Amino acid sequence: MISRAAIQRQAQRALRQSWQQSARGYASPASGSLAYQQGDANGIKYASRDYAGPVTTLALVSKAGTRHQILPGLAEALERYAFRTTERRSTLRIQCESELLGSELLRYHTRENLVVGAKFLRDDLPYFVELLAEVASQTKYQQHVVNEEIIPLIELNTKQRLADTLALAQESVHSLAFHRGLGAPLHPTSTNLYKNYVTADALAEYAGGAYAKPNFAVVANGVDHGELSKWVGEFFTDVPAQPTVEIKTEQSKYYGGEERIAHASGNSFVIAFPGSSSPTGAFYKPEVAVLAALLGGESSIKWTSGFSLLSKAATQTPLLHVSTKSNIYTDAGLLVTSLNGSASDIRATAPKIVETLKAVSQNISEEDFNKAKALAKFKELEFASGTQAAIEYTGAGLTRDGKPYQINEVASSIDGVTADKVKQVAKEALENKASVSAVGDLFALPYAEEIGLKV
Amino acid sequence: MSVPSLAPYIMKRPWLQRWMKPLSQWYFDNAGYRKLGLRADDLIPEESPQVQLALKRLSPKEAYDRVFRMRRAFQCSLAHQLLPRHEWTAAEQDYPYLSPLIKEIEIEIKEREDLEAMQITKPTPKK
Repeated sequence: MISRAAIQRQAQRALRQSWQQSARGYASPASGSLAYQQGDANGIKYASRDYAGPVTTLALVSKAGTRHQILPGLAEALERYAFRTTERRSTLRIQCESELLGSELLRYHTRENLVVGAKFLRDDLPYFVELLAEVASQTKYQQHVVNEEIIPLIELNTKQRLADTLALAQESVHSLAFHRGLGAPLHPTSTNLYKNYVTADALAEYAGGAYAKPNFAVVANGVDHGELSKWVGEFFTDVPAQPTVEIKTEQSKYYGGEERIAHASGNSFVIAFPGSSSPTGAFYKPEVAVLAALLGGESSIKWTSGFSLLSKAATQTPLLHVSTKSNIYTDAGLLVTSLNGSASDIRATAPKIVETLKAVSQNISEEDFNKAKALAKFKELEFASGTQAAIEYTGAGLTRDGKPYQINEVASSIDGVTADKVKQVAKEALENKASVSAVGDLFALPYAEEIGLKV
Repeated sequence: MSVPSLAPYIMKRPWLQRWMKPLSQWYFDNAGYRKLGLRADDLIPEESPQVQLALKRLSPKEAYDRVFRMRRAFQCSLAHQLLPRHEWTAAEQDYPYLSPLIKEIEIEIKEREDLEAMQITKPTPKK
């Protein structure tokens, strides 16, 4: 027979647990807004937004992407060196501990930023703030780790990317458009080149710049702001106040041009025009986002090619993948239309894309324009309500301009776009030099001149 | 492959160290490897994964010098000769260049084994 006391105990526990779980869900007031609160702890900038839920995302966003690297390959090497042996624990220990707590370590870099962070349960905040502080200030940069772990990883990544024609074309178009700085390849394209540059000493030097107080910000999603400020103030004490190496940011300049690369494993054709900077930057043009949504190319629903202008232009070649994206960086941007598919399809469709752009520069129908505006606004809001992108943009905004990325302002600026402004952007794109990159079967792929672009 | 050693025990006691030092110097000089231009760490057996890894981690200069010392010693051994006195390894030249790396690798392996053998107990819920 089960004793009454035992049942009572179980029932009490069950009750308590169910109450605790629901309490956890509502533990923090859901602010309902996507806005970030910001703060400063001994010169370290941080921002957070709180929403209900048991998972927290915390990241350190550093101004150390490929654009700022002092030697080629350092940004990627520093990314891969995050969470490795520190003065206090080994790589393996960091991995084991974070696994046992139930978390996911994340690290990636973009053209401008290096993001090192973690997703974890709300209660483990102090542990991960301490871990990030340790990564920033106490990592041991050892040559044998570079030789045995970092360089082989970069090599594998390079090999994987060499087979991807679209990625190659995107890299090529960026280097055409911006030359140095933003034009530096996101991932090293040649295996031999960076081996001379990526050494433990160079990494330590670059880390001294990347993880110095003026060059990074701590951003969190789903934490209490007061709690975050308390732990940041407590753990980020060893971080150098002045960078050991100056991280330069020169104003990006648009150049443009054409590059053709022979490749056997696919065909890609990328056309790019100067675009808009991020909302925190000086050259923000919301109409570029609307133009990107207007041109489009991808369908947002199944079983149809979609209703955007480019997908209408490409109806004859259903297997061709067309997409338009407005890449935004802090002080410049690139509106990129990429075509990926067979060489003959690209040859047939590329001129139609330029014709579509010409038509847009003269006339946009009211209906198309409203659809594009709604889509651009949706995409922007959806993008920023996701944690990853929001964290990166907020961190970048904080380190560069001292203000976080505020979603409400972005949405309202898209509301203010008129059809004339979009026409103007399309017209300027056609009048100025474009950046065109063709990768694949060069016999079949067209030249920019042939499809009616100026390079 | 590190070997058990009494050295830390002796080094901690200055009186014992003073007493042992001439003895150890006499011993090392008579061991003979210094007369072939080798260092004590050159004598560590290579045939284990740990030592192989440690050898890979040597700086290029150290690795080159190690091979040079070994080839020179091998030649001397074939010719049944000792090096001229000025080429003998001096006591201050005979420092451990490899054993710290081996110890580091052994600590890494030990840590991995310990973590893999770890028993995880969930904290019992508090009443």
